[in-house]
Amino acid sequence: MTDLPHSADAVVVGGGILGAATARALARTGMKPLLLEARAFGGAVTGASLAAIGTHMHGIEEYPLLRHAGQLWSDLAEATGNPFEYNRQGKLCYILHPEDRAVGADWVAREQALGAEVALLTPEEAREREPLMTGPLIGATWAPDTATVNPFLGLRTVLRLAREAGATAVANTPVTALRIDGGRIAGVETSCGAVSAPHVVLTGGPWTARLAAMAGIVLPIRPRQAQCLASMRQPPGTIRRVISACERAGGVDSGYTQIQQAASGQVLFNTVTAPFDPPEGAQDHIHEVPPGFVLESIETLLMLFPSLAAQPLLRSWVRFEGVTPDSRFLAGSLPLPGLHVAAGDNGSGYCRALMLADHLVAAVTGAGGLPEDLAALAARFYAPMRFAQRDAA
Amino acid sequence: MTMAADLLSCDVAVIGAGPAGLAAAKEAAAAGADVLCLDLYDRPGGQYAMQPGDPSGPLAASEAARLGRDLAEAARAAGVRLLSRAELFWAAPEGEGFLLYAALDGGAGALAVRARAVVVAAGAMERPLPFPGWTLPGVIGAGAAQRLVKSGGALPFGGKVVLAGTGAFLMAVASTFAKAGRRIDHFVERQPLRPLSSLTMLAPWPSRWSAAAGLLADLRRTGAQQHHGHAVTRALGRDRLEAVEIAPVDALGRPDLSRAERIGGVGALCIGYGFQPVIDATTALGADHAHNPALGGWHCLARPDSGETSRPGLYAAGETCGIGGMRPALVSGRIAGLSAAARVLGRTPDPGLMRSLAAELAKARRFAVSLAAHWPAPEAPPVPLPEAEVICRCEDVRLSDIRAAVQAGAAETFAVKMWTRAGMGPCQGRVCGAALAAALAEAGVPPGQAGYNRAHLPLRPVPMNAVHAALARTARPDTPGTGPA
Ligand SMILES: Cc1cc2nc3c(=O)[nH]c(=O)nc-3n(C[C@H](O)[C@H](O)[C@H](O)COP(=O)(O)OP(=O)(O)OC[C@H]3O[C@@H](n4cnc5c(N)ncnc54)[C@H](O)[C@@H]3O)c2cc1C
Ligand SMILES: Cc1cc2nc3c(=O)[nH]c(=O)nc-3n(C[C@H](O)[C@H](O)[C@H](O)COP(=O)(O)OP(=O)(O)OC[C@H]3O[C@@H](n4cnc5c(N)ncnc54)[C@H](O)[C@@H]3O)c2cc1C
Repeated sequence: MTDLPHSADAVVVGGGILGAATARALARTGMKPLLLEARAFGGAVTGASLAAIGTHMHGIEEYPLLRHAGQLWSDLAEATGNPFEYNRQGKLCYILHPEDRAVGADWVAREQALGAEVALLTPEEAREREPLMTGPLIGATWAPDTATVNPFLGLRTVLRLAREAGATAVANTPVTALRIDGGRIAGVETSCGAVSAPHVVLTGGPWTARLAAMAGIVLPIRPRQAQCLASMRQPPGTIRRVISACERAGGVDSGYTQIQQAASGQVLFNTVTAPFDPPEGAQDHIHEVPPGFVLESIETLLMLFPSLAAQPLLRSWVRFEGVTPDSRFLAGSLPLPGLHVAAGDNGSGYCRALMLADHLVAAVTGAGGLPEDLAALAARFYAPMRFAQRDAA
Repeated sequence: MTMAADLLSCDVAVIGAGPAGLAAAKEAAAAGADVLCLDLYDRPGGQYAMQPGDPSGPLAASEAARLGRDLAEAARAAGVRLLSRAELFWAAPEGEGFLLYAALDGGAGALAVRARAVVVAAGAMERPLPFPGWTLPGVIGAGAAQRLVKSGGALPFGGKVVLAGTGAFLMAVASTFAKAGRRIDHFVERQPLRPLSSLTMLAPWPSRWSAAAGLLADLRRTGAQQHHGHAVTRALGRDRLEAVEIAPVDALGRPDLSRAERIGGVGALCIGYGFQPVIDATTALGADHAHNPALGGWHCLARPDSGETSRPGLYAAGETCGIGGMRPALVSGRIAGLSAAARVLGRTPDPGLMRSLAAELAKARRFAVSLAAHWPAPEAPPVPLPEAEVICRCEDVRLSDIRAAVQAGAAETFAVKMWTRAGMGPCQGRVCGAALAAALAEAGVPPGQAGYNRAHLPLRPVPMNAVHAALARTARPDTPGTGPA
């Protein structure tokens, strides 16, 4: 276990995948960042994630950034010998109702226009790719570029690389206050002492608004619950792809289902609730999956994969995700010099983590970062104060 | 997904039909409450008072079997509905009361229960400590061995039988073997023979003298060669157990490996280093828990004079509140049953009776405490483990993996689980919990700080269609069921 240093070139607050990736990216520029995690690395959203990496049905405007984000994960797997179970198994979005066929066709057409290898499948073609999915689908969309990673091993790898590049990472050290001096950030206070640093990056997941509030900055991030059920191990190949619903609009309001089989053999299926204003202390309270969601999740799974009906359920868990008004991250510099943020994951932050970390490098160091065309796009989409500016205008 | 579930309602639901649960159920019903008692096993009785598989065999006449029969009979006579082969898989608060969900007959059926008060008397389970070779087929828990003998089943393999570990319970297992007319070849107790201190310990408890003498006589009847002051240091074999290595231990409990001897031709090593409370239902319902090695580790906190936990309407009794044996279980069960009934019936229990029961419980616990002090359950593995030893057998996680996780900053059970998958298999940490805690302790994290893998829905693996049927019965009132609502 590591001692807390008194100073660092930058402090990254929050040891989820965003924080670990940011610490690594900063360390690779030659800085000596310090990553501080309140409890256990990856213990919040990151370790509970299904960690699918892909572009399909995530939004047309953000598509180039997402493609880059996925490429970074694929490159990382290649460069490291893939210790985190990166598996490019593709994604199938099932279509159950005739009116949704047009929705699927529209996504496919628009993504194809951007060069994606997506396709609209007949039920027979879908079943070829997913033999046990014998439920009543009338079609599916298919995106071969979607991959999954093991969320713990992904975090472990990125954390290891961050440390190897010169970052220090300390668990069980919550940040309790931000130090501000002469109108700019000067460091953080923690339960184990103060650290001075010219830069602080907030990657506290769904609770990042509380961290920003320590500097008097209001960030519109609200938590919502995401829940996951896991079955006992099934034979390999029981579920081959990432399975999802063909979404009408995409984004938060459309409802969300994701089903996949982990390398461990467990079948995982997840749903989310609407965002809410959590009561004081909700962050530290252990939550349970609401029975209604268990019912709907099992119904969806067994409607698609009826042969799994008698297989045992093993575990369930609930985590919070951070939701923003337009379902996009807040990533970049805040209106206090030296203070930066990457949060508001909207339930798909694993995918974007490496890409956003590069984006933050530019924010912190004023150099490097994403390729130029993408940097401009990211600056526009992810500007952390975009809502405040809109409100003021 | 066409399974349908029963929905039952009751005033008091009792989880577990061991001595504590049966006593609680009987008292609550006798006080006028409508009581339902659920238990996982085929017949009521629990571990100690389990009903033997052969009702006319030699074990049926034992005191323990008689106790179980009498308690179940008394509970039924008082109007308790006893449900066997019903495994609780989830519990949740509903208004002032509770919803319970159970799988029936190993998942072939499902049940939902609406209860105004709940008594959890879920008992204890073995607390296996790892030692080199502990995952070899043929190595089983002493408690599991006792269940096997009581149910009339066979031990895993033919060959010599070695009973090893520590504690009064080991003698009780030997006694079960003797009563069933089964042989034990070697009896290996970590504590040295201490006749004087045993007598001093027993002196204030004349009511226990004959039982103690009976246990000693039974141990002799098994024909076992006795090795006091010895511990098993290794189980050996290629694909299954073949031999057991034992060594004398010093005053600090450390085995002297240079004096190890080998017992060959072994078919079964039945080994027990103590028990841990079953707390999945009480943690699911959010009651407060604490850690105390003398009580088996993590246990549910319940007020001794009422059995009530930190959660109103939720009571706990028996070994869920700490390891202590049958007598405290019986009394704490009566206390919890009376309190739970009083709560739902809007009465106060007879203060005189509750006072005398509380005094009786205190006395029974004092005896349990002196037993525990006489045979302290070790928290650490009996021998230093090799790095490659498997700690979590479901997920094949080795000691070296756990050490690496701690090194990287994982400082609690939860973090080690995420880092290594230890505790993510079918047992969800129930079996490997003590081993994980021991590995963390060795790395500098005390068990009270390391925590435990908290149970979530489902508390035990249950077929998805059974989970669905039970939950649908309460979450969607119009769901057709198999019985009256
Ligand atoms: C493929 C896959 C399979 C899985 N299978 C299983 C499985 O079979 N069994 C299993 O137990 N888990 C499994 N998980 C792990 C799952 O991610 C966790 O269960 C999940 O993270 C929820 O935590 P929990 O239910 O264990 O913890 P909870 O019961 O929710 O409690 C965790 C405790 O740790 C605390 N904690 C520690 N660090 C943090 C932190 N940084 N942020 C917030 N809280 C923290 C919490 O406050 C809480 O007290 C699986 C995950 C994946 C991706
Ligand atoms: C069931 C489920 C399925 C998902 N599926 C996918 C998917 O398929 N694809 C995908 O891309 N994403 C998915 N996600 C979302 C993804 O996991 C998250 O977007 C991502 O992990 C967010 O990472 P993070 O680092 O922002 O947050 P977190 O992992 O929550 O990390 C934030 C950390 O900050 C720490 N922290 C907070 N406050 C402080 C403080 N004051 N001091 C110190 N530390 C602090 C917390 O303890 C926490 O560890 C899923 C999520 C869930 C729950």
